[in-house]
Amino acid sequence: MLILRFTLRRLLVAAPTVLGVLFITFMLVRIGHQDPVAMLAGPMADRAMLEMIRTQLGLDQPLFTQFAGYLWRLAQGDLGRSWQSNQPVLHEIIAHFPTTLELTLLSVGLGAIIGVPVGLRAAFRPNGWFDQISRVVSLLGFSVPTYWMGLMAIFIFFFLLRLAPAPMGRLSLEVIAPPTITGSLVIDSIAAGNWEALRSALAQLMLPVSCFTLIAAAPVVKQTRAVAIEILGSDYIRYARACGFSPRTVRRIVLRNAVAPVLTFIGTQLTSLLAAASLIEFIFAWGGLGHWGLNAILLGDFAAVQGYVLTLALFSVFVFLVIDLLVLLLEPRGQRR
Amino acid sequence: MTLLSVEDLHVHFVTRGLDNRIRTARALNGVSFTVEQGEIVGLVGETGAGKSLTALAAMGLLRPPAMIPTGAIRFDGQNILALPPRELNAIRGVRMTMIVQSPLTSLDPLARVGDQLVRMQQQHSRISRAEAVKRALAVLDEVRVADPERRMRAWPHELSGGMAQRVLIAMALVNRPRLVIADEPTTGLDVTVQAQVLDTLRDLVRANGMSAIIITHDLGVVAHHCDRMAVMFAGTIVEQGRVSDVFREQRHPYTRALISATPKRIAAQGFGQVGGTPPDLYNLPGGCLYRDRCGRATELCTSAPPLIGIGPGHGVLCHHAAEIPAP
Amino acid sequence: MSIATTDSAPARPGVIGWIIGLARRSPTFALGFAIVLVFAVLALGADWLAPFDPVQTFPFAVLKPPGGDFVLGSDGNGMDVLSRVIHGSRYAFGISLPAGALMVVIGVPLGVVAGYKGGVTDEVLIRILDVLRAFPTIILSLAVVAAAGASLLNVVLVIGFLDSPIFARIVRAEVLALRSATFVRAAVAVGNPPWRVMFVHILPNAIMGAIAQLPVRMSWAVRISATLAFVGVGVQAPAPEWGAMIRQGAEFVISGEWWVATFPGLALIALVLGFNLLGDGLQDLLDPRRRATGK
Repeated sequence: MLILRFTLRRLLVAAPTVLGVLFITFMLVRIGHQDPVAMLAGPMADRAMLEMIRTQLGLDQPLFTQFAGYLWRLAQGDLGRSWQSNQPVLHEIIAHFPTTLELTLLSVGLGAIIGVPVGLRAAFRPNGWFDQISRVVSLLGFSVPTYWMGLMAIFIFFFLLRLAPAPMGRLSLEVIAPPTITGSLVIDSIAAGNWEALRSALAQLMLPVSCFTLIAAAPVVKQTRAVAIEILGSDYIRYARACGFSPRTVRRIVLRNAVAPVLTFIGTQLTSLLAAASLIEFIFAWGGLGHWGLNAILLGDFAAVQGYVLTLALFSVFVFLVIDLLVLLLEPRGQRR
Repeated sequence: MTLLSVEDLHVHFVTRGLDNRIRTARALNGVSFTVEQGEIVGLVGETGAGKSLTALAAMGLLRPPAMIPTGAIRFDGQNILALPPRELNAIRGVRMTMIVQSPLTSLDPLARVGDQLVRMQQQHSRISRAEAVKRALAVLDEVRVADPERRMRAWPHELSGGMAQRVLIAMALVNRPRLVIADEPTTGLDVTVQAQVLDTLRDLVRANGMSAIIITHDLGVVAHHCDRMAVMFAGTIVEQGRVSDVFREQRHPYTRALISATPKRIAAQGFGQVGGTPPDLYNLPGGCLYRDRCGRATELCTSAPPLIGIGPGHGVLCHHAAEIPAP
Repeated sequence: MSIATTDSAPARPGVIGWIIGLARRSPTFALGFAIVLVFAVLALGADWLAPFDPVQTFPFAVLKPPGGDFVLGSDGNGMDVLSRVIHGSRYAFGISLPAGALMVVIGVPLGVVAGYKGGVTDEVLIRILDVLRAFPTIILSLAVVAAAGASLLNVVLVIGFLDSPIFARIVRAEVLALRSATFVRAAVAVGNPPWRVMFVHILPNAIMGAIAQLPVRMSWAVRISATLAFVGVGVQAPAPEWGAMIRQGAEFVISGEWWVATFPGLALIALVLGFNLLGDGLQDLLDPRRRATGK
């Protein structure tokens, strides 16, 4: 019951945020230097035709009416039509989302599995050799651009060492794809018992996931270290030491208290990496939501851009909600951080 | 029998300022005192005099930038300053425990009170959980926590300040230590609660034959709860002795100023002088550290003051102690 | 007894002395400062330091590997990679400096006002921050620049605007902590108008966190502008911008001509790292917890 009440309250609090998000995505199209009407109509259209399309799209209405109309259509699940594919944007998003989610979840998961222990270890001996090394490596992770790392990985592991398959999508061309169930090739291959597809899918995942994991791990290391150092300086850890608790027990107390803030941070990571995935997907011709969204941005496919940005923003609102619920379960008092 | 002895303890803080200069704060400058078996000793003095620091040093809890250039601390025959961490952990929390100043932030926020009491016991002995729970309940009852069963299940943030302080006392007593160090155990509590908490602590220490150090800036606390007292100023003990002796025959000008500043005396005699600020620990003058604030300072006070015995166990760090008449 | 303060460095007057002092206390800061300084020199002296004109083509020297006349090789248009990398630092500073200034100019006053006034102003700011937090900066800046047109000015404006809430948040938190400080109450009590209390009394005490954050956000600006150019919506080739150069080099990587994409990337990493180290070092230096004091 508590959880239900909490969720409802959080949703109420999130409502203005969502409204702001919707307004910004709505405005995105309207700040443009390109006229969406002209783009839709093509170069052959005459003035009358342009006016007709404008009226059809409701672009001649006052801004507020347009926004209300936009919200109304959204409420009915109508995100407009992508003019590249002439498909409803909602369908495209649903089709592409699992691919990107698979890539991002794998990378953020691995990044957390690597980053949290490293950050903790660094925090227990601040300025020791391990801390110094992890600091340099995570600074590098911060500084290396995603796409450049992808390019270098392709050069080394595909061109030089021939260890990785060609960076051409999610499955080798010779392999028959399993029927789509979840949209994650790994899960679908297992479900279909298609081991060849599974092997190929994993091989294709190797490079992008490795690059992405390094990029995901760096901030996790930094944040975990900062959280742990703050906890190590707290009254209750000083007291635990005064109680003669063994270093192991002290570490356990630190770990337990670090879970919620670190988890919250990984949540924010997840949302920002879902966006950064577009660059990795671009390099590896991945064809997921990020790749699709990036193309939409580059081509000026406005309905698709709106849909993409909206998906990312709503996803992050959703992730923050889930994380807050988890924290509520993990912490006896809900308001801690 | 002497349980704890601190001899000529010095503590320095070595830091580097933003201007890149290395600065040394001399926080303790030769502190010596003992705690006998079954005795309650009060450490009094103003903020920054080094009371808490002395306690932390006795527990072996000082970490850089604090360092101990000279001095010795012996507890129950063991040299605290030379013990490896593992053996220190076998003393802390079992034979020597501490009650800290900020009870609400000192308990692990993510463990229930009962679990923390059990953890305290299981860290230091092979005791079954059931046995540990039983003892935890008994100790909570001893420190007069109402409805211990319910409190065991409480989270720290659900406790009031006074309740949290009692839980900390329970934590300190649950392993039946030989020495309890209470560092300003009643700051932030209501006056009535303060008295109750301290009475409970004193009674339990007495009943179990333990020793205690009570750190406070409240002379009333010392007068009511301690056997002996040591008055600290700028990292030195300027006067120590039995509580009754010091209150009757205090000789150090600082002690005298402190005692004349207690409400009862003020009511009777008006304000005395405790004016002035503590000396700059980064830049301590030689000689008597109190001389800038002392009404009796003479040329003599620029040299280090001697320890002058007044009576049995009653000593004063002052050149002029012998000339100052008893009050 | 001797006085216990010892000098490890004689105090030098002025800004230089201050920087040397900081560098000695934090090697991180020193390294970051040195890297940024090197790139600043490259940017200022690009015309003299670069062996060739960055957009001069040598039609008979297309895709030459590193060595020989072209120290870092030549690209697909037959332009000298080294010269282009050196000139690229101009774009990096040309975007990150004004963008950084914009972040401070917008974010800091917002943070001060929101933190000091509280109430509706604060509530509105928090809401806006919440909304912006929901958007990933990369995608939002991509979408906005793509929609508004890929000009240098638009890139600077978008990066500056999107990052200013970060400064607002940092300053707001500090101001909130200072609002009830004694010196502030004293300033109010003697009759200072609110703007004077905010910007003369509070701001100087609340600005440190923002200053330490500035290099980090500038590194972010360098990264984002390169990302925009790489994707093709920022600065356009053949302008010698690092991201645009990586974009040009990307197609050659798969066939083994690695140098076109690699070197601008390394320059980008080095400068971003430099800014980050600078910021990290500053944060360490300003963190009161590292300036432990005696009790």
